[in-house]
Amino acid sequence: MENILTVTHLQKDFGTHKVLRDIDFSVSKGDVVSIIGSSGSGKSTLLRCINLLETPTSGDILFHGASVLSSGIDVPSYRAKVGMVFQSFNLFDNMNVLENCMISPVKILKVPKAEARERAMHYLDRVGMASYINAKPRYLSGGQKQRVAIARALAIQPEILLFDEPTSALDPQMVGEVLQVIGKLAEEGRTMVIVTHEMTFARDVSSRVIFMDDGIICEEGTPQKIFTSPEKEPTKAFLERFWNR
Amino acid sequence: MTTSLPSDFWGRVLFILQRYGTSYLKGAGTTLLISIVSTIIGCIIGFGVGVVQYIPIDKRSPWYKRALLRVAKVIMKVYVEVFRGTPMMVQSMFIYYGASQLLGINMSMWFAAFFIVSINTGAYMAETVRGGILSVDIGQTEGALAVGMSPLRAMNYVLIPQALRNIMPQIGNNLIINIKDTCVLSVIGTVELFFSAKSVAGTYYTYFESMTIAMVLYLTMTIAASKLLRLWEKKMDGPATYDLATTDTLAFTSGLLNISTKRPANERPL
Ligand SMILES: Nc1ncnc2c1ncn2[C@@H]1O[C@H](COP(=O)(O)OP(=O)(O)OP(=O)(O)O)[C@@H](O)[C@H]1O
Ligand SMILES: [Mg+2]
Repeated sequence: MENILTVTHLQKDFGTHKVLRDIDFSVSKGDVVSIIGSSGSGKSTLLRCINLLETPTSGDILFHGASVLSSGIDVPSYRAKVGMVFQSFNLFDNMNVLENCMISPVKILKVPKAEARERAMHYLDRVGMASYINAKPRYLSGGQKQRVAIARALAIQPEILLFDEPTSALDPQMVGEVLQVIGKLAEEGRTMVIVTHEMTFARDVSSRVIFMDDGIICEEGTPQKIFTSPEKEPTKAFLERFWNR
Repeated sequence: MTTSLPSDFWGRVLFILQRYGTSYLKGAGTTLLISIVSTIIGCIIGFGVGVVQYIPIDKRSPWYKRALLRVAKVIMKVYVEVFRGTPMMVQSMFIYYGASQLLGINMSMWFAAFFIVSINTGAYMAETVRGGILSVDIGQTEGALAVGMSPLRAMNYVLIPQALRNIMPQIGNNLIINIKDTCVLSVIGTVELFFSAKSVAGTYYTYFESMTIAMVLYLTMTIAASKLLRLWEKKMDGPATYDLATTDTLAFTSGLLNISTKRPANERPL
């Protein structure tokens, strides 16, 4: 399969705190990679490094084989190829649902307005939010906000989608509606990297699971392997703690 | 001049109004014009300065860019400190007479008036704008960057509109302060409301009556200004309800065509 993203020897320090230590992994077209691991293991930092919200301390990130850390790169247009969905939604509060999904296609990608609108409506319909186009984010429930955020990310038609704990800020009864949407995207064969604490979901939708522990990738493999016969002690301990919760 | 002043207070007020009503109105008009225009210009200055103060110095950018930004920041910091830290009345005379004596520029009174009030408002607004931008959640910027906006565009489309909404009350406050404080321009001879009122008062020694009229006019202007700004804020917020085109199939909200926003966000209609 065509390689999209490769991370090599990635390190990230915050001062003296080494949050990521030598991370290597790659994502091919159609992969659905779930990243699990305990709080503070560096999962968010990894995703934030991938779309350059954080600058890696050392190592490299290759997008279609080309480094995105070289000085000549146009960071905004790289980010437009990498969609990101945040734990805290981060919808633009000054725009309604439709504007949220249209601003980047129209202003950044220079898609004609009518086409951008059609595109936004298409994705809003996919996430079941087409009827809310006039609502400002503050009037939506958490689950609805996250679905709009997913539509917004899809509307820039990225080659890869990053999710950072998309359901962690949601009330339990809203988790399902968001996971359902992400699950459908996985079925379609979209390339995604999902940081999540929803183990059942990770088991069901992923093609590969990465277990992170203290800034390194401790174990990586198919969902069957990670969830039914993990090899490393930290993985076993983490999953044990998780299932017995 | 036939000075047959009425003997009672209200009679004298009426008498003054009949003779000099237009000069009060002209004065009030001048006051309003200077305060509104200067508040607008001041806000523009404030946004310029506030945005520059907000821009972090990026270690990765070339040295000359960093140096330029540093110098700009220092100059703007000095500007803010000087104009916030000295009385506008003293500034007026300092600038008006200083310009003619030091630079040989004879400012027109109008120019001087707009200049002084604008630059003063700008100094106050700069800090307000910086605070306004800082008060916008960092997630808004990250969301904007993540959809491919450059930092400048993120500022333009996401941060500044939200900062503007956040600081609307302070802008209103500044307008009200300006309506009142333009009276200090009388020291450089600007014929605004206070100047007019004082001139009339001097003619007949009717200080109390004349200032009563000025008080009423000032109060009318400030109350009207704050009411209008409140309306504008409401308009910026948009409607408090939104229309649903059809139904939200995933969240099972059927039959509701108009959702009231008073309902807590996590409560679902049945
Ligand atoms: N900007 C920052 N400055 C300093 N330390 C940071 C910063 N961002 C993250 N960290 C630290 O890096 C470590 C990893 O954080 P990260 O958010 O990546 O963890 P995580 O695996 O996503 O955890 P969680 O499951 O709680 O979201 C934490 O110890 C955190 O305190
Ligand atoms: Mg995290």
